[in-house]
Amino acid sequence: MEKISKFIKTFLLLELLRGMSVTLRNMFSRNITVHFPEEKTPQSHRFRGLHAQRRYPNGEERCIGCKLCEAVCPALAINIEVAEREDGTRRTTRYDIDLTKCIFCGFCEEACPVDAIVETRIFEYHGENCGDLYYTKQMLLAVGDKHEVQIAKDRAADAKYR
Amino acid sequence: MINIEIDGKHIESESGSTIIQAAHSAGIAIPHFCYHKKLSIAANCRMCLVQVEKAPKPLPACATPVSEGMKVFTVSEQAVKAQKGVMEFLLINHPLDCPICDQGGECQLQDLAVGYGGVASRYAEAKRVVTHKDIGPLVSAEEMSRCINCTRCVRFGQEIAGVMELGQAFRGEHAEIMSFVSSTVDSELSGNMIDLCPVGALTSKPFRYSARAWELSRRRSISPHDSLGSNLAVQVKGNQVMRVLPVENEAINECWLSDRDRFSYTALNVPERLTKPMIKQGGKWQEVEWQTALEYISHGLRDIAKRGGAEQIGALATPNSTLEEMYLLQKLLRGLGSNNVDFRLRQSDFSADGKQAGAPWLGMAVADINQADRFLLVGSFLRKDHPLLASRIRQAVKRGAQANVLHSTDDDLLMAVANKSIVAPSAMVSVLAQILQALATEKKARLDGAVQALVQAGSPSAEAVAIAKNLAGGQHPAILLGNFAQQHPQAAQLQLLAQHIAALCNAKFGFMGEAANSLGGHLAQAVPFAGGKAGMNATAMLAAPRKAYLLLNVEAELDTHNPQQALAAMYAADMVVAMSAYKHFASDYADVMLPIAPFTETSGTFVNTEGRVQSFNGTVKPLGEARPAWKVLRVLGNMLNVEGFDHDSSEAVRDEALGGMDVSSKLNNTLGGTEVRGLGTEQAPAHHSAPGPQSSALSGLQRVADVPIYSSDAMVRRAPPLQATHDALPPSAAMHGDELAKLGLKPGDMVKASQGEGSVRLSVVLDNRLPRGVVRVAAGHALTAKMGAMFGTISVERA
Repeated sequence: MEKISKFIKTFLLLELLRGMSVTLRNMFSRNITVHFPEEKTPQSHRFRGLHAQRRYPNGEERCIGCKLCEAVCPALAINIEVAEREDGTRRTTRYDIDLTKCIFCGFCEEACPVDAIVETRIFEYHGENCGDLYYTKQMLLAVGDKHEVQIAKDRAADAKYR
Repeated sequence: MINIEIDGKHIESESGSTIIQAAHSAGIAIPHFCYHKKLSIAANCRMCLVQVEKAPKPLPACATPVSEGMKVFTVSEQAVKAQKGVMEFLLINHPLDCPICDQGGECQLQDLAVGYGGVASRYAEAKRVVTHKDIGPLVSAEEMSRCINCTRCVRFGQEIAGVMELGQAFRGEHAEIMSFVSSTVDSELSGNMIDLCPVGALTSKPFRYSARAWELSRRRSISPHDSLGSNLAVQVKGNQVMRVLPVENEAINECWLSDRDRFSYTALNVPERLTKPMIKQGGKWQEVEWQTALEYISHGLRDIAKRGGAEQIGALATPNSTLEEMYLLQKLLRGLGSNNVDFRLRQSDFSADGKQAGAPWLGMAVADINQADRFLLVGSFLRKDHPLLASRIRQAVKRGAQANVLHSTDDDLLMAVANKSIVAPSAMVSVLAQILQALATEKKARLDGAVQALVQAGSPSAEAVAIAKNLAGGQHPAILLGNFAQQHPQAAQLQLLAQHIAALCNAKFGFMGEAANSLGGHLAQAVPFAGGKAGMNATAMLAAPRKAYLLLNVEAELDTHNPQQALAAMYAADMVVAMSAYKHFASDYADVMLPIAPFTETSGTFVNTEGRVQSFNGTVKPLGEARPAWKVLRVLGNMLNVEGFDHDSSEAVRDEALGGMDVSSKLNNTLGGTEVRGLGTEQAPAHHSAPGPQSSALSGLQRVADVPIYSSDAMVRRAPPLQATHDALPPSAAMHGDELAKLGLKPGDMVKASQGEGSVRLSVVLDNRLPRGVVRVAAGHALTAKMGAMFGTISVERA
């Protein structure tokens, strides 16, 4: 009996039509492909992309060289050296993040007591040479200076959950 | 024994101990800040409050003695509530910025706040601010707002260091720790306050902000400076030594460390480090490969041995060199056929050589000092030469022992001294003989012929009688000869007399070794009389210049008894090989400089003054092309075709040097075959002379030379923070007021002090505690390196 019904269905092309119906449905549904880079997906304010070092509004760098981010980093991507600055404050003389080691877990910004090291929304960056993704303190501060407005907005948006 | 119960655990505790001691011995932790096992009990932090059955209120565990049947609860609701309350009060005024504090990560307050602190502070008012203080180059008091007024540092000063340099001023909320008006903390043990401070108020200045506790790996080592052999934890980050901390060893350094041991690491990476072998060619220094340098040396040595005989080669090592280095050095020299090897560079009397039954040692275990009840300290700058031995003796004196001093200077020992005799160096032997005489009278003892004749020669001075009586009254007297006595031109006589005194009053008698390996040098046979026919000792080698010198760590003008003589010998030599970790004045007289590794970069062994053999490993890689000296000497031995230079580790060298030796059987201070000489002529000169008419020059004065604590070896001489201390001030000419009056000088004037062919300009210091007829001019400093012997006559004129 079953054999007969299968035989008839073969001539009726039912499977084909069922498959085509999916195609037809999707032809009229909303397009979900994003045309990167012309279009971009929305990002959470918690997005963890490129790192940045922030400054206070008066231009003073936030980082106090406590080394908590270095200690917490599971990939050992952060390398810090600290010394006393002329004014007696504790400051980093070296703050390097090796982005090729970094796993973007965000522990560094969690650990930071002064919100100095943050992860920004930037994810479109590249290096052409070996070592280009080894970010030094100056590079990180430059990222921070450039995107401070966005960074501050993101911190503010997340503040109520902290 | 008293039976108590803590947290339901039955504990037997000694009568008189406190709850916290009982708990700690049973492994129960009670939070505390002000309590420290080595300090007195202050009970002012209140963190150790515990609940005791039948007590209406919580009691401080550190100050409550145990009593029979006591039931203590350390984690009960009442106890924890009390502890949390105390913590909240402590945190009211303590800054909550742990991330910028240098103590972060190793802070007791931080650790305990995790357990007992609140989530957030309820305190909204203004916090107390305490101004920062400058208390010297070693201890940073920049963050005194962090102080919780536990007074550990104050009690340490009073009880261990012997001098109260920090105190608590004002009351209540205004209480703060400070030094006396604008004075620094100058104690040679001050670094221990850093360890004691439970918060970040007192931190290490050289280490400040350079690393975190969790980044540092901790490697064991042994102090290369004084002869105590303090156990160190060298803390390393990457390939750099970041700081040095004590490792607790109750038998040696307890939990303390002298500043010299603690801060000398700062000299490890100074720019003066020698990092490449260098040869002087045509008057110019050139960096060369090791191979070239070693070939140059081996050719040179062979040549000199062929032309003038192997006796033309001499080797000098500092007593800070390791056992392995000294052993290979003497083996190399003896292999070449010369016995001219010595490490006793500052010694001047070698008449005891070969007559002593064994190697000179402390005569007791370091810990036995605690049991001694009478001390006779002969010729020792005790606090500066042996900071921690001094501290032990100070503790013994506090417990009722009595200290007697025979010396040429009367520096404050920061302990009660029962009797003292401060005489010119030349009179020391005579006074010691008088003490022996008085003691013999006291004990009604009959001495051997010569000694008996000697001590009957005159009548002892009142001071000598007092010292003898004091010694006779003790159960466990100890007679200790210090560096000054060992360097004294009549050292053997002093030793012999001390030996007789010790025999009479049944005392322990020994030497406080001069440096880390003063005893090890004897065991390594780095002395001219150790093997076969006797060679030349350190002084003889320099008095009759050799054609070639091998210098191991030696700075000829700073490490020797007579810098003038040493330098003359160096300039006269055909070849001088300076093995050193630093570029130093050898660049002027040496032909080859070989970079060798300081103690952190090599493995080795130090034998401390009680005969404890302590081996250590290197903690970091040698800087640049520096190499451990034992490897350098080993290769040199191979190149010179000397037999038996095929060790492949420093352990192998050590095992060969000690050869399964029972070290304790080799230690013996007994001096035989030497007679006490007549002493009639060696009375103190001008001891009671009244000030004469003023003149422009004074001659015939005796020099008293100490080696200041931060000039003792090449490493400390280059440690910047140590050189910034009060103890490292440039040498001066200190004299008694009467001598100053003769010259019409006042303190601060400049004088020209001349000795031999050299003279130096020094500022004058008034020290009425010095005996008359002496000038105290320190040795071991570049400023006085042009002068002559550490003992002897010196003339002073107005400059």
